Amino acid sequence: MLQKLILAGGFVLCFGALKAQDTIQDQINNLKDDVTTLKRDPNTNFMIRGFSQFGLDAGSDNVNFNMTSFNPVLLWRQGDRFLFESELEMEYMSNQFGLNLGYANASFVVSKGVVVKVGKILIPFGTFGEKFHPSWVNKFSSAPLGVGHDGMLPMADIGVEVRGGLQVGKSKLSYSLFCVNGPRIKDGTEEPTEAGMLSFENANDNNNNKAVGARIGFLPFSNSSLEIGVSGYYAKPGSKTSPFAGDTLNEDLNYKDVTALLFAGDVAYIKVINLIKGTIDIKGQHNISNVSKATYLNPEDTTRYTFTNKCSSYYVQLAYRPALVANNVLRNFELVGRYSVYNTPKGSLWYSNQSQIEVGLNYWFVWRTVLKISYQISDGAMGGSGMGNMPGMSGMKTSMFLIHVATGL
Amino acid sequence: MKKSKYIIGFLFSLLMTIIIAQGCSSAKQIVEAKSGAQLWAENCIRCHNGPSPTEFNDEQWKTIGLHMQDRANLTKMETDKIVEFLKSAN
Ligand code: HEC
Repeated sequence: MLQKLILAGGFVLCFGALKAQDTIQDQINNLKDDVTTLKRDPNTNFMIRGFSQFGLDAGSDNVNFNMTSFNPVLLWRQGDRFLFESELEMEYMSNQFGLNLGYANASFVVSKGVVVKVGKILIPFGTFGEKFHPSWVNKFSSAPLGVGHDGMLPMADIGVEVRGGLQVGKSKLSYSLFCVNGPRIKDGTEEPTEAGMLSFENANDNNNNKAVGARIGFLPFSNSSLEIGVSGYYAKPGSKTSPFAGDTLNEDLNYKDVTALLFAGDVAYIKVINLIKGTIDIKGQHNISNVSKATYLNPEDTTRYTFTNKCSSYYVQLAYRPALVANNVLRNFELVGRYSVYNTPKGSLWYSNQSQIEVGLNYWFVWRTVLKISYQISDGAMGGSGMGNMPGMSGMKTSMFLIHVATGL
Repeated sequence: MKKSKYIIGFLFSLLMTIIIAQGCSSAKQIVEAKSGAQLWAENCIRCHNGPSPTEFNDEQWKTIGLHMQDRANLTKMETDKIVEFLKSAN
Protein backbone atom coordinates (compact mmCIF):
# COMPACT_ATOMS: atom_id res chain seq x y z
CA MET A 1 0.00 0.00 0.00
CA LEU A 2 2.74 2.38 1.10
CA GLN A 3 4.78 1.38 -1.95
CA LYS A 4 1.84 2.21 -4.20
CA LEU A 5 1.47 5.57 -2.59
CA ILE A 6 5.20 6.36 -2.99
CA LEU A 7 5.05 5.29 -6.63
CA ALA A 8 2.00 7.44 -7.26
CA GLY A 9 3.66 10.40 -5.45
CA GLY A 10 6.86 9.93 -7.46
CA PHE A 11 4.88 9.75 -10.66
CA VAL A 12 3.02 12.97 -9.84
CA LEU A 13 6.33 14.73 -8.96
CA CYS A 14 8.05 13.59 -12.17
CA PHE A 15 5.08 14.55 -14.25
CA GLY A 16 4.89 17.94 -12.51
CA ALA A 17 8.61 18.59 -13.11
CA LEU A 18 8.27 17.60 -16.75
CA LYS A 19 5.22 19.80 -17.10
CA ALA A 20 7.11 22.73 -15.50
CA GLN A 21 10.03 22.18 -17.86
CA ASP A 22 7.59 22.17 -20.74
CA THR A 23 6.13 25.49 -19.62
CA ILE A 24 9.62 27.04 -19.28
CA GLN A 25 10.54 25.67 -22.69
CA ASP A 26 7.32 27.15 -24.10
CA GLN A 27 8.10 30.48 -22.53
CA ILE A 28 11.63 30.45 -23.92
CA ASN A 29 10.24 29.60 -27.35
CA ASN A 30 7.74 32.44 -27.10
CA LEU A 31 10.50 34.87 -26.10
CA LYS A 32 12.61 33.67 -29.03
CA ASP A 33 9.70 34.33 -31.36
CA ASP A 34 9.21 37.80 -29.88
CA VAL A 35 12.88 38.68 -30.32
CA THR A 36 12.82 37.45 -33.93
CA THR A 37 9.73 39.55 -34.60
CA LEU A 38 11.36 42.60 -33.04
CA LYS A 39 14.54 41.99 -34.99
CA ARG A 40 12.68 41.62 -38.26
CA ASP A 41 12.89 44.60 -40.60
CA PRO A 42 15.75 46.33 -38.84
CA ASN A 43 15.79 48.54 -41.88
CA THR A 44 12.75 50.60 -41.00
CA ASN A 45 12.37 52.88 -38.06
CA PHE A 46 9.50 55.08 -37.02
CA MET A 47 9.82 57.97 -34.57
CA ILE A 48 7.49 60.58 -33.18
CA ARG A 49 9.32 63.74 -32.22
CA GLY A 50 8.39 67.40 -32.50
CA PHE A 51 8.03 70.27 -30.09
CA SER A 52 5.70 72.32 -27.95
CA GLN A 53 5.71 75.66 -26.20
CA PHE A 54 3.53 77.04 -23.46
CA GLY A 55 3.78 80.35 -21.65
CA LEU A 56 2.61 83.71 -20.51
CA ASP A 57 2.73 87.05 -22.32
CA ALA A 58 2.22 90.07 -20.09
CA GLY A 59 1.63 93.46 -21.73
CA SER A 60 0.43 96.64 -20.05
CA ASP A 61 -3.20 95.97 -21.03
CA ASN A 62 -3.50 92.23 -20.90
CA VAL A 63 -1.86 89.16 -19.51
CA ASN A 64 -2.29 86.01 -21.51
CA PHE A 65 -1.48 82.36 -21.05
CA ASN A 66 -0.48 80.96 -24.43
CA MET A 67 -0.14 77.54 -25.92
CA THR A 68 2.00 78.79 -28.77
CA SER A 69 2.83 75.47 -30.33
CA PHE A 70 2.25 71.77 -30.16
CA ASN A 71 3.80 70.29 -33.26
CA PRO A 72 4.28 66.53 -33.49
CA VAL A 73 6.85 65.48 -36.09
CA LEU A 74 6.65 62.01 -37.62
CA LEU A 75 9.78 60.44 -39.03
CA TRP A 76 9.87 57.17 -40.92
CA ARG A 77 13.10 55.77 -42.27
CA GLN A 78 13.41 52.94 -44.76
CA GLY A 79 16.94 51.65 -45.21
CA ASP A 80 19.86 54.06 -45.22
CA ARG A 81 18.63 56.48 -47.84
CA PHE A 82 14.91 57.03 -47.58
CA LEU A 83 13.22 59.30 -45.02
CA PHE A 84 9.67 60.52 -44.71
CA GLU A 85 9.18 63.54 -42.46
CA SER A 86 6.04 65.41 -41.58
CA GLU A 87 5.07 68.06 -39.09
CA LEU A 88 1.59 68.76 -37.79
CA GLU A 89 1.13 72.28 -36.49
CA MET A 90 -1.57 72.37 -33.87
CA GLU A 91 -2.61 75.62 -32.35
CA TYR A 92 -5.26 76.89 -30.05
CA MET A 93 -5.91 80.55 -30.63
CA SER A 94 -8.98 82.78 -30.35
CA ASN A 95 -10.85 79.86 -28.79
CA GLN A 96 -10.31 77.76 -31.87
CA PHE A 97 -8.31 74.66 -32.53
CA GLY A 98 -6.34 74.84 -35.74
CA LEU A 99 -4.48 72.07 -37.50
CA ASN A 100 -2.05 72.84 -40.25
CA LEU A 101 0.41 70.69 -42.17
CA GLY A 102 3.82 72.26 -41.51
CA TYR A 103 5.56 69.96 -43.94
CA ALA A 104 5.23 66.42 -45.28
CA ASN A 105 7.78 65.10 -47.70
CA ALA A 106 9.87 62.16 -48.76
CA SER A 107 13.59 62.50 -49.23
CA PHE A 108 16.01 60.17 -50.91
CA VAL A 109 19.81 60.28 -50.74
CA VAL A 110 20.67 59.81 -54.41
CA SER A 111 24.43 59.99 -54.06
CA LYS A 112 27.09 61.40 -51.75
CA GLY A 113 26.13 65.05 -51.95
CA VAL A 114 22.65 64.89 -53.45
CA VAL A 115 19.33 64.54 -51.62
CA VAL A 116 16.09 64.77 -53.58
CA LYS A 117 12.87 65.74 -51.79
CA VAL A 118 9.29 65.80 -52.94
CA GLY A 119 6.15 66.93 -51.14
CA LYS A 120 5.41 69.85 -48.90
CA ILE A 121 8.85 71.14 -48.00
CA LEU A 122 10.18 73.84 -45.71
CA ILE A 123 11.52 76.49 -48.06
CA PRO A 124 15.28 76.87 -47.68
CA PHE A 125 15.12 80.62 -48.09
CA GLY A 126 17.44 82.12 -45.50
CA THR A 127 17.88 80.02 -42.39
CA PHE A 128 15.27 80.95 -39.81
CA GLY A 129 12.26 79.26 -41.39
CA GLU A 130 13.97 76.00 -42.14
CA LYS A 131 16.64 75.65 -39.50
CA PHE A 132 15.75 77.68 -36.41
CA HIS A 133 11.97 77.88 -36.16
CA PRO A 134 11.10 74.97 -33.79
CA SER A 135 10.41 76.40 -30.36
CA TRP A 136 13.19 74.43 -28.65
CA VAL A 137 15.68 75.57 -31.32
CA ASN A 138 14.59 79.23 -31.38
CA LYS A 139 16.15 80.99 -28.38
CA PHE A 140 13.16 83.33 -28.07
CA SER A 141 9.52 82.41 -27.72
CA SER A 142 8.56 84.38 -30.83
CA ALA A 143 9.97 84.64 -34.35
CA PRO A 144 11.89 87.77 -35.38
CA LEU A 145 9.81 90.38 -37.22
CA GLY A 146 9.25 89.61 -40.90
CA VAL A 147 10.30 85.96 -40.93
CA GLY A 148 7.53 84.24 -38.98
CA HIS A 149 4.29 82.78 -40.32
CA ASP A 150 2.77 86.18 -41.09
CA GLY A 151 5.99 87.66 -42.41
CA MET A 152 7.20 88.45 -45.91
CA LEU A 153 8.86 85.11 -46.71
CA PRO A 154 7.85 81.70 -48.00
CA MET A 155 7.84 79.17 -45.14
CA ALA A 156 6.63 75.95 -46.76
CA ASP A 157 5.25 74.99 -50.16
CA ILE A 158 4.58 71.97 -52.35
CA GLY A 159 7.17 70.98 -54.91
CA VAL A 160 10.56 69.36 -55.43
CA GLU A 161 13.96 70.12 -54.01
CA VAL A 162 17.53 69.01 -54.62
CA ARG A 163 19.98 69.70 -51.83
CA GLY A 164 23.16 68.56 -50.17
CA GLY A 165 26.48 69.34 -48.57
CA LEU A 166 29.85 69.12 -50.29
CA GLN A 167 33.38 69.20 -48.98
CA VAL A 168 35.45 71.70 -50.97
CA GLY A 169 38.97 71.73 -49.60
CA LYS A 170 38.74 72.41 -45.91
CA SER A 171 35.57 74.39 -46.47
CA LYS A 172 32.06 73.21 -47.05
CA LEU A 173 29.36 74.21 -49.45
CA SER A 174 25.72 73.61 -48.74
CA TYR A 175 23.17 74.05 -51.48
CA SER A 176 19.41 73.77 -51.96
CA LEU A 177 17.54 74.26 -55.24
CA PHE A 178 13.78 74.13 -55.35
CA CYS A 179 10.78 74.45 -57.61
CA VAL A 180 7.39 74.93 -55.92
CA ASN A 181 3.83 76.14 -56.58
CA GLY A 182 4.72 79.64 -55.49
CA PRO A 183 2.86 82.61 -54.05
CA ARG A 184 -0.38 84.28 -54.99
CA ILE A 185 -0.66 88.05 -55.09
CA LYS A 186 -3.52 89.45 -53.04
CA ASP A 187 -5.51 91.58 -55.46
CA GLY A 188 -7.63 93.28 -52.84
CA THR A 189 -10.92 91.63 -53.75
CA GLU A 190 -10.98 89.55 -50.56
CA GLU A 191 -8.91 91.67 -48.18
CA PRO A 192 -8.90 95.18 -49.63
CA THR A 193 -6.30 96.46 -47.18
CA GLU A 194 -3.82 93.78 -48.22
CA ALA A 195 -3.72 94.46 -51.97
CA GLY A 196 -0.25 93.77 -53.34
CA MET A 197 0.79 91.43 -50.54
CA LEU A 198 2.18 87.99 -51.37
CA SER A 199 0.48 84.96 -49.88
CA PHE A 200 2.73 81.93 -49.79
CA GLU A 201 0.54 79.18 -48.39
CA ASN A 202 -1.42 77.83 -51.37
CA ALA A 203 -2.35 74.19 -51.71
CA ASN A 204 -3.50 74.89 -55.29
CA ASP A 205 -1.50 77.04 -57.63
CA ASN A 206 -3.38 79.97 -59.14
CA ASN A 207 -1.45 79.83 -62.41
CA ASN A 208 0.59 77.51 -64.60
CA ASN A 209 4.03 78.78 -63.74
CA LYS A 210 6.21 77.62 -60.86
CA ALA A 211 8.34 79.51 -58.38
CA VAL A 212 12.04 78.68 -58.35
CA GLY A 213 14.72 79.45 -55.84
CA ALA A 214 17.98 78.48 -54.25
CA ARG A 215 20.13 78.90 -51.21
CA ILE A 216 23.89 78.52 -51.22
CA GLY A 217 25.68 78.37 -47.90
CA PHE A 218 29.42 78.59 -47.47
CA LEU A 219 31.26 77.32 -44.39
CA PRO A 220 34.82 78.61 -44.82
CA PHE A 221 36.37 77.10 -41.68
CA SER A 222 37.02 73.39 -41.25
CA ASN A 223 35.34 73.48 -37.81
CA SER A 224 32.03 74.59 -39.42
CA SER A 225 31.75 77.50 -36.97
CA LEU A 226 30.77 80.07 -39.59
CA GLU A 227 28.15 79.81 -42.29
CA ILE A 228 27.32 82.59 -44.73
CA GLY A 229 24.39 82.06 -47.02
CA VAL A 230 22.63 83.76 -49.91
CA SER A 231 19.16 82.91 -51.17
CA GLY A 232 17.10 83.91 -54.16
CA TYR A 233 13.46 83.25 -55.12
CA TYR A 234 11.56 84.15 -58.27
CA ALA A 235 7.86 83.83 -58.97
CA LYS A 236 4.98 85.18 -61.04
CA PRO A 237 2.23 85.44 -58.46
CA GLY A 238 -0.67 86.67 -60.61
CA SER A 239 -3.55 84.73 -62.14
CA LYS A 240 -3.97 84.64 -65.90
CA THR A 241 -7.32 86.38 -65.79
CA SER A 242 -8.24 89.68 -64.19
CA PRO A 243 -9.84 89.35 -60.75
CA PHE A 244 -12.33 91.95 -61.97
CA ALA A 245 -13.36 90.02 -65.11
CA GLY A 246 -16.94 90.97 -65.91
CA ASP A 247 -16.67 94.35 -64.20
CA THR A 248 -16.32 96.54 -67.31
CA LEU A 249 -14.98 99.48 -65.32
CA ASN A 250 -12.08 97.58 -63.78
CA GLU A 251 -11.36 94.50 -65.84
CA ASP A 252 -8.28 96.20 -67.28
CA LEU A 253 -6.63 95.66 -63.88
CA ASN A 254 -4.60 92.52 -64.33
CA TYR A 255 -1.74 90.96 -62.38
CA LYS A 256 -0.63 88.25 -64.78
CA ASP A 257 2.68 89.94 -65.59
CA VAL A 258 3.59 90.85 -62.04
CA THR A 259 6.88 89.34 -60.91
CA ALA A 260 8.22 88.76 -57.43
CA LEU A 261 11.92 88.59 -56.72
CA LEU A 262 13.19 87.90 -53.23
CA PHE A 263 16.69 87.85 -51.83
CA ALA A 264 18.18 87.01 -48.48
CA GLY A 265 21.58 86.93 -46.88
CA ASP A 266 22.18 84.99 -43.69
CA VAL A 267 24.99 84.43 -41.27
CA ALA A 268 25.53 82.05 -38.36
CA TYR A 269 28.58 81.80 -36.14
CA ILE A 270 28.98 79.54 -33.17
CA LYS A 271 32.09 78.93 -31.17
CA VAL A 272 33.05 77.53 -27.79
CA ILE A 273 35.58 80.03 -26.45
CA ASN A 274 37.72 78.97 -23.47
CA LEU A 275 38.64 82.52 -22.54
CA ILE A 276 35.03 83.44 -21.78
CA LYS A 277 34.20 79.97 -20.51
CA GLY A 278 31.32 79.47 -22.82
CA THR A 279 29.62 79.46 -26.20
CA ILE A 280 28.99 82.49 -28.37
CA ASP A 281 26.19 82.13 -30.90
CA ILE A 282 25.49 84.85 -33.48
CA LYS A 283 22.70 84.60 -36.03
CA GLY A 284 21.27 87.02 -38.53
CA GLN A 285 19.25 87.27 -41.72
CA HIS A 286 18.40 90.10 -44.08
CA ASN A 287 15.51 89.81 -46.54
CA ILE A 288 14.33 91.90 -49.46
CA SER A 289 11.18 91.34 -51.48
CA ASN A 290 10.55 93.19 -54.74
CA VAL A 291 7.19 92.82 -56.43
CA SER A 292 6.82 94.69 -59.73
CA LYS A 293 4.60 97.74 -59.76
CA ALA A 294 0.89 97.28 -60.40
CA THR A 295 -2.30 99.28 -60.03
CA TYR A 296 -4.74 98.31 -57.30
CA LEU A 297 -8.30 99.28 -56.56
CA ASN A 298 -9.46 100.65 -53.23
CA PRO A 299 -12.99 99.25 -52.94
CA GLU A 300 -13.99 101.81 -50.31
CA ASP A 301 -13.75 104.85 -52.56
CA THR A 302 -13.15 102.99 -55.87
CA THR A 303 -9.98 104.99 -56.49
CA ARG A 304 -6.96 103.41 -58.09
CA TYR A 305 -3.53 103.63 -56.59
CA THR A 306 -0.06 102.23 -57.03
CA PHE A 307 3.11 101.99 -54.97
CA THR A 308 6.64 100.62 -55.04
CA ASN A 309 6.01 97.14 -53.73
CA LYS A 310 9.15 96.50 -51.74
CA CYS A 311 9.47 94.92 -48.29
CA SER A 312 12.56 94.42 -46.23
CA SER A 313 13.37 92.91 -42.89
CA TYR A 314 16.34 91.78 -40.88
CA TYR A 315 17.28 90.40 -37.51
CA VAL A 316 20.46 89.94 -35.55
CA GLN A 317 20.69 87.70 -32.52
CA LEU A 318 23.45 87.16 -30.00
CA ALA A 319 23.57 84.46 -27.35
CA TYR A 320 26.08 83.54 -24.67
CA ARG A 321 26.00 80.42 -22.54
CA PRO A 322 28.69 79.82 -19.90
CA ALA A 323 28.82 76.16 -20.85
CA LEU A 324 32.37 75.63 -19.60
CA VAL A 325 32.00 76.88 -16.02
CA ALA A 326 32.21 74.23 -13.31
CA ASN A 327 28.96 75.21 -11.58
CA ASN A 328 26.21 72.83 -12.66
CA VAL A 329 23.44 75.39 -12.43
CA LEU A 330 25.22 78.42 -13.86
CA ARG A 331 26.23 76.60 -17.02
CA ASN A 332 22.62 75.94 -17.97
CA PHE A 333 21.82 79.64 -18.18
CA GLU A 334 21.93 81.50 -21.48
CA LEU A 335 21.79 85.22 -22.14
CA VAL A 336 20.16 86.26 -25.41
CA GLY A 337 19.49 89.50 -27.26
CA ARG A 338 17.75 90.12 -30.56
CA TYR A 339 16.94 93.11 -32.71
CA SER A 340 14.61 92.89 -35.68
CA VAL A 341 13.13 95.30 -38.20
CA TYR A 342 10.30 94.88 -40.71
CA ASN A 343 9.24 97.46 -43.31
CA THR A 344 6.33 97.06 -45.68
CA PRO A 345 5.70 99.29 -48.75
CA LYS A 346 4.99 102.98 -48.31
CA GLY A 347 1.81 103.87 -50.18
CA SER A 348 0.21 100.47 -49.67
CA LEU A 349 -2.74 100.03 -47.33
CA TRP A 350 -0.56 97.69 -45.25
CA TYR A 351 2.33 100.08 -44.81
CA SER A 352 4.16 99.71 -41.55
CA ASN A 353 7.53 100.32 -40.14
CA GLN A 354 8.29 98.12 -37.17
CA SER A 355 11.27 97.39 -35.02
CA GLN A 356 11.68 95.23 -31.97
CA ILE A 357 14.31 94.70 -29.36
CA GLU A 358 14.21 91.74 -27.01
CA VAL A 359 16.53 90.55 -24.27
CA GLY A 360 16.17 87.24 -22.53
CA LEU A 361 17.49 84.81 -19.98
CA ASN A 362 17.07 81.11 -20.73
CA TYR A 363 17.53 78.12 -18.49
CA TRP A 364 18.18 74.76 -20.15
CA PHE A 365 16.88 71.81 -18.06
CA VAL A 366 18.13 69.35 -20.66
CA TRP A 367 19.37 69.80 -24.23
CA ARG A 368 15.86 70.25 -25.64
CA THR A 369 13.83 71.69 -22.75
CA VAL A 370 14.19 75.34 -21.92
CA LEU A 371 12.59 78.04 -19.79
CA LYS A 372 12.67 81.36 -21.68
CA ILE A 373 12.17 84.64 -19.84
CA SER A 374 12.35 87.77 -21.93
CA TYR A 375 11.43 91.41 -22.19
CA GLN A 376 10.37 92.80 -25.55
CA ILE A 377 10.02 96.40 -26.71
CA SER A 378 8.26 96.96 -30.04
CA ASP A 379 8.17 100.22 -31.89
CA GLY A 380 6.00 100.85 -34.90
CA ALA A 381 4.79 103.52 -37.27
CA MET A 382 1.59 102.99 -39.18
CA GLY A 383 0.76 104.43 -42.54
CA GLY A 384 -1.80 102.17 -44.14
CA SER A 385 -5.42 102.27 -43.11
CA GLY A 386 -5.40 98.49 -42.84
CA MET A 387 -3.22 98.44 -39.80
CA GLY A 388 -5.95 98.96 -37.20
CA ASN A 389 -4.69 98.82 -33.67
CA MET A 390 -2.14 96.08 -33.65
CA PRO A 391 0.30 96.22 -30.75
CA GLY A 392 3.30 98.35 -31.49
CA MET A 393 1.77 99.58 -34.70
CA SER A 394 0.48 103.05 -33.97
CA GLY A 395 3.70 104.96 -33.79
CA MET A 396 4.22 104.20 -30.17
CA LYS A 397 6.28 101.89 -28.08
CA THR A 398 4.77 98.85 -26.43
CA SER A 399 6.52 96.47 -24.14
CA MET A 400 5.85 92.95 -23.07
CA PHE A 401 7.18 90.46 -20.58
CA LEU A 402 7.26 86.85 -21.80
CA ILE A 403 7.84 83.61 -19.98
CA HIS A 404 7.63 80.31 -21.85
CA VAL A 405 8.67 76.71 -21.55
CA ALA A 406 9.63 74.96 -24.78
CA THR A 407 10.24 71.25 -25.17
CA GLY A 408 11.56 69.17 -27.99
CA LEU A 409 9.45 66.02 -27.82
CA MET B 1 18.26 98.01 -63.06
CA LYS B 2 18.05 97.23 -59.36
CA LYS B 3 17.16 93.62 -60.06
CA SER B 4 20.23 93.07 -62.15
CA LYS B 5 22.33 94.48 -59.32
CA TYR B 6 20.99 91.76 -57.01
CA ILE B 7 21.49 89.03 -59.57
CA ILE B 8 25.09 90.13 -60.17
CA GLY B 9 25.64 90.26 -56.41
CA PHE B 10 24.26 86.74 -56.03
CA LEU B 11 26.39 85.31 -58.85
CA PHE B 12 29.48 87.13 -57.62
CA SER B 13 29.16 85.71 -54.12
CA LEU B 14 28.66 82.26 -55.58
CA LEU B 15 31.79 82.59 -57.69
CA MET B 16 33.87 83.89 -54.78
CA THR B 17 32.61 81.03 -52.67
CA ILE B 18 33.80 78.47 -55.16
CA ILE B 19 37.15 80.18 -55.77
CA ILE B 20 37.97 80.50 -52.09
CA ALA B 21 36.88 76.96 -51.43
CA GLN B 22 38.94 75.54 -54.29
CA GLY B 23 42.05 77.29 -52.98
CA CYS B 24 42.01 75.23 -49.84
CA SER B 25 41.92 71.78 -51.36
CA SER B 26 45.26 70.76 -49.82
CA ALA B 27 43.60 70.97 -46.42
CA LYS B 28 41.10 68.27 -47.33
CA GLN B 29 43.08 65.63 -45.47
CA ILE B 30 42.75 67.56 -42.21
CA VAL B 31 38.99 67.29 -42.54
CA GLU B 32 39.06 63.65 -43.52
CA ALA B 33 41.21 62.81 -40.51
CA LYS B 34 38.61 64.18 -38.09
CA SER B 35 36.94 61.70 -35.76
CA GLY B 36 33.19 61.20 -35.50
CA ALA B 37 33.29 62.62 -31.98
CA GLN B 38 34.95 65.83 -33.16
CA LEU B 39 32.55 66.25 -36.08
CA TRP B 40 29.64 65.69 -33.69
CA ALA B 41 31.00 68.33 -31.28
CA GLU B 42 31.47 70.85 -34.08
CA ASN B 43 28.32 70.26 -36.11
CA CYS B 44 25.57 69.23 -33.76
CA ILE B 45 25.72 72.48 -31.77
CA ARG B 46 25.26 74.75 -34.77
CA CYS B 47 21.47 75.05 -34.51
CA HIS B 48 20.53 73.52 -31.17
CA ASN B 49 22.27 72.00 -28.15
CA GLY B 50 23.99 68.80 -29.19
CA PRO B 51 22.24 65.68 -27.87
CA SER B 52 24.41 63.20 -25.99
CA PRO B 53 24.90 59.75 -27.56
CA THR B 54 22.92 58.08 -24.76
CA GLU B 55 19.69 59.86 -25.76
CA PHE B 56 18.75 57.39 -28.51
CA ASN B 57 19.37 53.81 -29.63
CA ASP B 58 21.22 52.73 -32.78
CA GLU B 59 18.18 52.56 -35.06
CA GLN B 60 16.98 55.96 -33.88
CA TRP B 61 20.42 57.50 -34.45
CA LYS B 62 20.34 56.25 -38.04
CA THR B 63 16.99 57.98 -38.55
CA ILE B 64 18.15 61.18 -36.87
CA GLY B 65 21.39 61.07 -38.86
CA LEU B 66 19.42 60.97 -42.10
CA HIS B 67 17.10 63.73 -40.88
CA MET B 68 19.99 66.02 -39.93
CA GLN B 69 22.02 65.20 -43.06
CA ASP B 70 19.04 66.60 -44.92
CA ARG B 71 18.13 69.53 -42.64
CA ALA B 72 21.68 70.72 -42.00
CA ASN B 73 23.15 69.87 -45.44
CA LEU B 74 25.82 67.72 -43.81
CA THR B 75 28.22 65.91 -46.10
CA LYS B 76 27.86 62.14 -46.40
CA MET B 77 31.24 61.65 -44.70
CA GLU B 78 30.24 63.81 -41.73
CA THR B 79 26.91 62.05 -41.33
CA ASP B 80 28.40 58.55 -41.49
CA LYS B 81 31.17 59.34 -39.02
CA ILE B 82 28.84 61.12 -36.59
CA VAL B 83 26.25 58.31 -36.66
CA GLU B 84 28.98 55.71 -36.14
CA PHE B 85 30.25 57.67 -33.15
CA LEU B 86 26.78 58.09 -31.64
CA LYS B 87 26.05 54.39 -32.08
CA SER B 88 29.33 53.37 -30.46
CA ALA B 89 28.93 55.68 -27.47
CA ASN B 90 25.29 55.16 -26.50
C1 HEC C 1 21.18 73.39 -39.59
C2 HEC C 1 20.72 73.27 -38.24
C3 HEC C 1 20.90 71.94 -37.54
C4 HEC C 1 22.07 71.24 -37.33
C5 HEC C 1 23.48 71.61 -37.78
C6 HEC C 1 21.69 70.05 -36.60
N1 HEC C 1 20.35 70.06 -36.35
FE1 HEC C 1 19.32 68.64 -35.32
N2 HEC C 1 17.60 69.64 -35.68
C7 HEC C 1 17.48 70.84 -36.38
C8 HEC C 1 16.09 71.19 -36.48
C9 HEC C 1 15.53 72.43 -37.16
C10 HEC C 1 15.37 70.18 -35.82
C11 HEC C 1 13.86 70.09 -35.63
C12 HEC C 1 13.24 69.38 -36.78
C13 HEC C 1 11.76 69.57 -36.75
O1 HEC C 1 11.16 69.40 -35.69
O2 HEC C 1 11.20 69.91 -37.80
C14 HEC C 1 16.35 69.23 -35.33
C15 HEC C 1 16.01 68.08 -34.62
C16 HEC C 1 16.93 67.21 -34.06
C17 HEC C 1 16.59 66.08 -33.22
C18 HEC C 1 15.19 65.67 -32.80
C19 HEC C 1 14.72 64.55 -33.65
C20 HEC C 1 14.52 64.93 -35.09
O3 HEC C 1 15.20 64.33 -35.95
O4 HEC C 1 13.72 65.83 -35.38
C21 HEC C 1 17.77 65.47 -32.90
C22 HEC C 1 17.94 64.23 -32.04
C23 HEC C 1 18.83 66.20 -33.55
N3 HEC C 1 18.30 67.27 -34.23
C24 HEC C 1 20.16 65.83 -33.50
C25 HEC C 1 21.16 66.47 -34.23
C26 HEC C 1 22.50 65.95 -34.37
C27 HEC C 1 23.02 64.66 -33.77
C28 HEC C 1 23.18 66.85 -35.14
C29 HEC C 1 24.61 66.76 -35.63
C30 HEC C 1 24.81 65.80 -36.66
C31 HEC C 1 22.26 67.92 -35.49
N4 HEC C 1 21.05 67.65 -34.93
C32 HEC C 1 22.59 69.04 -36.24
C33 HEC C 1 18.51 71.58 -36.89
C34 HEC C 1 19.83 71.19 -36.91
